[in-house]
This record gives sequence, C-alpha cells and structure tokens, in this order.
Amino acid sequence: MSEVLAIRDLCLRFRGYSGVSEVLHGISLDIRAGERVALVGESGSGKSVTARIVLGLLQELPSAQVEGGLFFEGEDLNRLSRRQWQALRGTSISMIFQDPTSSLNPVFTIGTQFAEVLRRRDPGLSREAADERAGTLLQSVSIHDHARVLGAYPFQLSGGMNQRVVIAMALANHPSLLIADEPGTALDVTVQAKTLKLMHELVEQSGTAVFFISHNLGVVREFADRVFVIYRGRIVEQGPTPAIFEDPGHAYTRALMAAVPRITGGGLPDLNDSETAFLEPMVVHEGGDA
Amino acid sequence: MTPLLSLRQVSKTFGTGPRAVDAVRNVSFDVTHGECLAVVGESGSGKTTLANMILGVFGQSSGEIWFDGKGLPTRRTLEHRSAIQLVQQNPLSSLNPKRSVGASIRLGLDVFGIGTRSDRWRLVEDALEEVGLPGDFRRRSPAALSGGQCQRVAIARALACQSRLVILDEPTSALDVLVQARVLRLLEDLRRDKGLSYVFITHDLSVVRNVADRVAVFREGELVECAETRAIFEDPKVDYTRQLIGAVPVISDDELKLRESLSGGLPA
Repeated sequence: MSEVLAIRDLCLRFRGYSGVSEVLHGISLDIRAGERVALVGESGSGKSVTARIVLGLLQELPSAQVEGGLFFEGEDLNRLSRRQWQALRGTSISMIFQDPTSSLNPVFTIGTQFAEVLRRRDPGLSREAADERAGTLLQSVSIHDHARVLGAYPFQLSGGMNQRVVIAMALANHPSLLIADEPGTALDVTVQAKTLKLMHELVEQSGTAVFFISHNLGVVREFADRVFVIYRGRIVEQGPTPAIFEDPGHAYTRALMAAVPRITGGGLPDLNDSETAFLEPMVVHEGGDA
Repeated sequence: MTPLLSLRQVSKTFGTGPRAVDAVRNVSFDVTHGECLAVVGESGSGKTTLANMILGVFGQSSGEIWFDGKGLPTRRTLEHRSAIQLVQQNPLSSLNPKRSVGASIRLGLDVFGIGTRSDRWRLVEDALEEVGLPGDFRRRSPAALSGGQCQRVAIARALACQSRLVILDEPTSALDVLVQARVLRLLEDLRRDKGLSYVFITHDLSVVRNVADRVAVFREGELVECAETRAIFEDPKVDYTRQLIGAVPVISDDELKLRESLSGGLPA
C-alpha cells in the first residue's frame, strides 16, 4: 500500500539563550493510505512538534533547526516553497488542535470561517454555495440546526460543538492526511467518546489517513491501527495496536501502561523508578514496520 | 461519630429573575473523618461551585454546611479557613510566580499564626519534605519546577496550614500519567498518615475507582447518585452513571468487559 506520509530520521533542535536543546533525535515513521497511526508520549516528548513539522510550521521559526526527510504522497516536502507548502495546508493535509474554542477565530462567525476553508480548494465559491456545503458537512458531524451554528460565534457554542465544527472543517476539502493533536483532551469524557466515535466513522468513510497524537493510552487503543511510542524525542516502541497493548516490549511502554488507573480497580500502581531502562533500544513488533 | 463535613439541602443560584442559574440544587452529603469522597460530573455540573461553597469563597443561597459538628458561617474564622484547604488543577497558575515556593507556603503560616516566627521556615521545609521534595526547594521559583513538583508544592502548602479537609479540584488532570501515579500515591499516603479527609473533584473515573471510598455523581447541579465506590462501578443505579463509566477510554480487556456489561450507551 502506498505511503501517505513518511518521516525519515527527523531531528529538531531549538536554539535558545542557554544554548541548543535537542528535541527530536532522529525519529522515523510512516502512515499508509487510510490508516490511523498514533504517536503516544508524555508532555515534552516531542509529539506536537512532530505534527507541526509535518505542516511546515516549525520550519518558519528562526530558532528551530529541522533536519531529516519528509515525504507526503511521494513528494519531498523539504523542496517545497513556502507558497506550495501553504497550498497543502487545509486542502491535502489538515489539522485538528486540542482546544477547539481557541483554534477558531473568536471575531468571525462559524459560517465565515467555514467559507474561508472551502474557498481554499474552490476559490470562486459564493457564500450561499459555501453555506449550503457547510450545512451538509455539519449534518455529517451530527449538527442538525446548522443554520444557527453557521450564524454563531465560537464562544456561543459548547466545546464539544466547536470540536465537531473543527472536525467538519478539517474534512471539508477531503484531505488525504488528517493530523489530530489531542483532539479529545479538552472535552468531557462522554463528549470525547462521542467525538472520537464520529471522527472514526468519518475517516473510515472518506478513507482519510489519520496521524493521531495523544497522551491517553485508552483513547489510542480505541482509535489507532498502529502505535508509535515516543520518549524524550526517540521512538522507543512501534507496532500494531493489539500487539503493543497485549505485549508491551519496552520498559517505558510497560511503565506507561502500569501507571494508568483501571476502572476495574486494583489500587494505585507501584512504580519502580528505573528511568535508565527507558533509554533501551527501540522495540519493533511484527507488522509495525512499513 | 459526627461527620467531619456535612451538607444539608445546599443550593446556589447565580443572578436573579429569568436569567438566574441554579448551579447547585438541594445537595446533601457527608464526609467522615479520614474519608475520600469523589465528586464526579461533567463541566457545568456544579462541582467547582460546590467546592467554593465548602471553602467559603462565596456563601450558599440556601441550606447548611456543617464542619466538625458546628454550622459554618458565611464569613469564616481563621480556624475554619486553615482547616479546609484547596489544591487546584493547574499547579503552575495556582502558585504566585513572583514568590519563591517557600514564601508561598509560609504565607499561610503567617496568616493563620501557625508556629513561632523563627520556627516557620523550618515548618516550610518539613512540609516540602513530607511531599517528597528537598527542603532547599523553598528558595526556588515556581517557574523552575516541573508540573508534578509544582503540584507537590501546592499539596505541601495545604498540609502546612494544618488542614483537616482538603478539597482536591482535578489535582492530576494537568499531569502526565507517570507523574499522576506518583502524586496519587503521595495523596493516599498523606491521607493515611495524617488522617486527612478529601473531597476529590474529578471527571476521571478510572482515578476515582482507585482512590475514593465513596463517589457522588453530579449532573446539572444535582446529586444523582452517591454510594460506595465498588457499588458505583459494579452496580450503578442511575443511567447517567452508566453512561459516564461507559465513556471512559480503557486499555485492557477486563475493563472493556466491565464497560460493556454496563452498556449504558452514550448520552444523546
């Protein structure tokens, strides 16, 4: 199967007042067409910067040094001009951020923002036609009073509603890759479950590949086909979701799993603090390699 | 034995007339000595309003709050204020960035007149050591600490005030899972060693299952179910509780089985 996204030996360094800090130490991963791939790790492990590099956002920062191969549908992203890269965002690659309310512009209505998204692929689209298409898309994320939603500002809607609007926008131009950075974290648990179920159904229908970034192992288990575990800028374990959860091979993955409280009870886990073991070499499960 | 905290028909209404919002409606429950009561519910269910009333940030519109057998007045005495302490969700923003960690902890001691002036820095260091931080951390600024360390400082601040009841408002939601496990373990140990009582406000039911003695489920300002933790998870009486448990993302097959056996489905 063809790869939608391939990352090869990606390194990232930030230059700051106190010298250079290395954030990513050569990570490689790939996502095939229609596949849901999760990148799991703790805060500061390098999950979100990886997503931002794929979108070309970090490369614009003067303090960031990015090295390594980035290929989207076979094309070398590093050779794109700023304008070409800009043209990919929101059309072929789209992104959903953690906090839906702050990722929408507070001074424009949902309708205006939706039209802007649709015009990225179809510049001559009239506002009426845009509203009509937006209405259909909102229907697909179970928003039925779409006329009210299109006329509303983001702060007039709930967090769950905003997140559904953002999902509808992200899928509006039929991207081949959707990057979802902690899409349920800012939502209530029941709203998160509904949102993820909806996203699952939509990407299945449209065949969109998803690069799913999360720190929540439970969410990852339910959503992803394949999992990459990242620790301090290094991939420590990769493989199909069932293999990772049934037989975690790396000390860090095992520690993560042990630390998750279970709804079946059993008390709080005892953690052995052998962080040196977390630096062991990477574990690759069968089927984890593309 | 009289409960440590007792709420009787407590309600809170914000605003008046047609735009009034009933944030909490007719809530009654007890917290006994040494108990951990979890308060769960979604955003807007009135969890934090409830915490603010217990702390005396604002008064209740009706009903009574009793502490250690006496009714709590709306204007709290110093004694009440030191006995009921709060640990907030975001550790970085709950500590004053311009004060050193030690100064933040010491402020409570100064206000409540705990210890003698010359003794207080030692008390601050003791409190830090109790939460597993070195005593010389008192000179550091909150910005120089990690999220987990900041949360430990917030807990030390509550302990130093000789509190008996600690309101934990989402104390681990902002932390990574490994850090969360350590902070939860610390809270457990402190409760056992010091005989503290907790009101543990959270939306994370898998945490609740492992730390709480009893659970109070809130929905839209009302207490819909209150029972022992095991009963809540194994035999919930209310559909809403089933839905909440049914929405928890899980990582093992055992949990999946439990979740499916409840099969509440998701709320519309």
